[in-house]
Amino acid sequence: MIELRAVGHRFGAVTALAELDLHVAPGELLSVIGPSGCGKSTLLRIIGGLTTPSQGQVVVNGATADTARATKQFGLVPQTPALLPWKTVRQNAALLTQVNRGVERRPVASDAAVDAMLAEVGLVEFLDAYPRQLSGGMQQRVALVRAFALGAPILLMDEPFAALDEIVRSEMRYLLLRLWQQHAATVVFVTHSIPEAVMLSDRVAVMAARPGRIVSIETIDLARPRHPDMEDSTQFLVHVATIRRLLAAAATPAPVRS
Amino acid sequence: MNERARNVLAPVVGLAVFFGLWELLVRAFSVEAFILQKPSTIFSNLSGARSLYWSNGLVTLREAALGFVTGLLVALVVATPMALSRFVEHAVQPVAVLIQVTPIIAYAPAVVIWQRGSTARSVLVLTTIVSFVPFLFAAVTGLRSVDPATLELLRSVDASGPEIYRRLRLPHALPYLFAAGRIAVGLSLIGAVLGEWFALADNRRGGLGALIKSASNQNNAPELWAATLALAIIGGLAVWMLTILERVLLRWHSSQQP
Repeated sequence: MIELRAVGHRFGAVTALAELDLHVAPGELLSVIGPSGCGKSTLLRIIGGLTTPSQGQVVVNGATADTARATKQFGLVPQTPALLPWKTVRQNAALLTQVNRGVERRPVASDAAVDAMLAEVGLVEFLDAYPRQLSGGMQQRVALVRAFALGAPILLMDEPFAALDEIVRSEMRYLLLRLWQQHAATVVFVTHSIPEAVMLSDRVAVMAARPGRIVSIETIDLARPRHPDMEDSTQFLVHVATIRRLLAAAATPAPVRS
Repeated sequence: MNERARNVLAPVVGLAVFFGLWELLVRAFSVEAFILQKPSTIFSNLSGARSLYWSNGLVTLREAALGFVTGLLVALVVATPMALSRFVEHAVQPVAVLIQVTPIIAYAPAVVIWQRGSTARSVLVLTTIVSFVPFLFAAVTGLRSVDPATLELLRSVDASGPEIYRRLRLPHALPYLFAAGRIAVGLSLIGAVLGEWFALADNRRGGLGALIKSASNQNNAPELWAATLALAIIGGLAVWMLTILERVLLRWHSSQQP
């Protein structure tokens, strides 16, 4: 469970995040959507204990974000795959299980399990390949396996599919859903794409910029498991339209507080 | 012509043309042997007194290799705090630049006096100093310019500084260090030769620098040229060995792709 209580953040004189509260339930997939510069990535870093908020408190499974980070409770998937070019696919996928080994106090994926996960995402022929030999989509699949192999209860994803073309991006979406359902992790997923947010999420937090703030949280009541056909359903399109409207409304400047 | 054949043939052709033209010009203009030797004479001298050049070459090679490795290690020790702190970098940089821009020939006699005439110590100091500078600048750049997303990924699992250094910074610096190594090979040979050259008269260690000095004092042009050629061959072999090592250790790097 993730709980943000009156969390806010400033970079010098600039308010990156206005005071906000947020609750993410165990096993929930929450997307955060908003315009560029609205503080989505800052919010993700605060949850992950990578940035200390200027105010407020973050509670992760009953502990502080720093403690959660120190016990490897977060699996981070950054915007770029961030693979080590001198490591093979299987070595990259197992990387986080080997770093700071032992502090997680829970079983992480064995080498054989990592190989099996790589096979499951279609990389069985590339186990000993180097990242430069993979396409962008394949690299991002390795990054996903790397996060899930850690067995972390919480996954933080910062626009992981942003650099991919639409076809690969759609494939990745369903791959993520499959892995998420198998591993039952809590996911906070930052994205720019409204259809992606709707298709993936249990709830979508819509953010506005200057200052960064959550203006609305939309519950997505599409049935699970989700599949590509649902993207043509009225229910899906209504959610997309609602979030688009919320984003448009959020684009108007916030009222100045006296 | 396949790539492998081209890689072998091209340098052979280049060297054959170089020495062929040299031979042709000396013969065509009937240049006196004490002014410029013919390559055929130099090669014949070299093979005629193989053991002399081999034993002296080995001394110089050992000295240069020791200075090369010491320079690399000292550079890594100094570069690490420089890469992590701009203050340390700005403090050390002027000293490194002063060392870089001062010609070694200017301070080599002073180093010999400082080391009280010990050829071994003088050569070690000189070869270390000249190798140190290119390795230092390369190491600072390589250790610092890691991918921020990968750095954040490792921090997300609370990787310690030494672990980040071992898993990310050091491997990332390797291509930079190899590039500097190609420069340092030549410089360490220069350092070794100058150390031997300026060594006191009772230098019994030998080395190609000492041989060149004695040949020069005796106007022994054949020995002078043969020793010079031996030095060039040693330098070439050292670069070749470095290239092989680079091919093995950097097989993942784009510089090693056809």
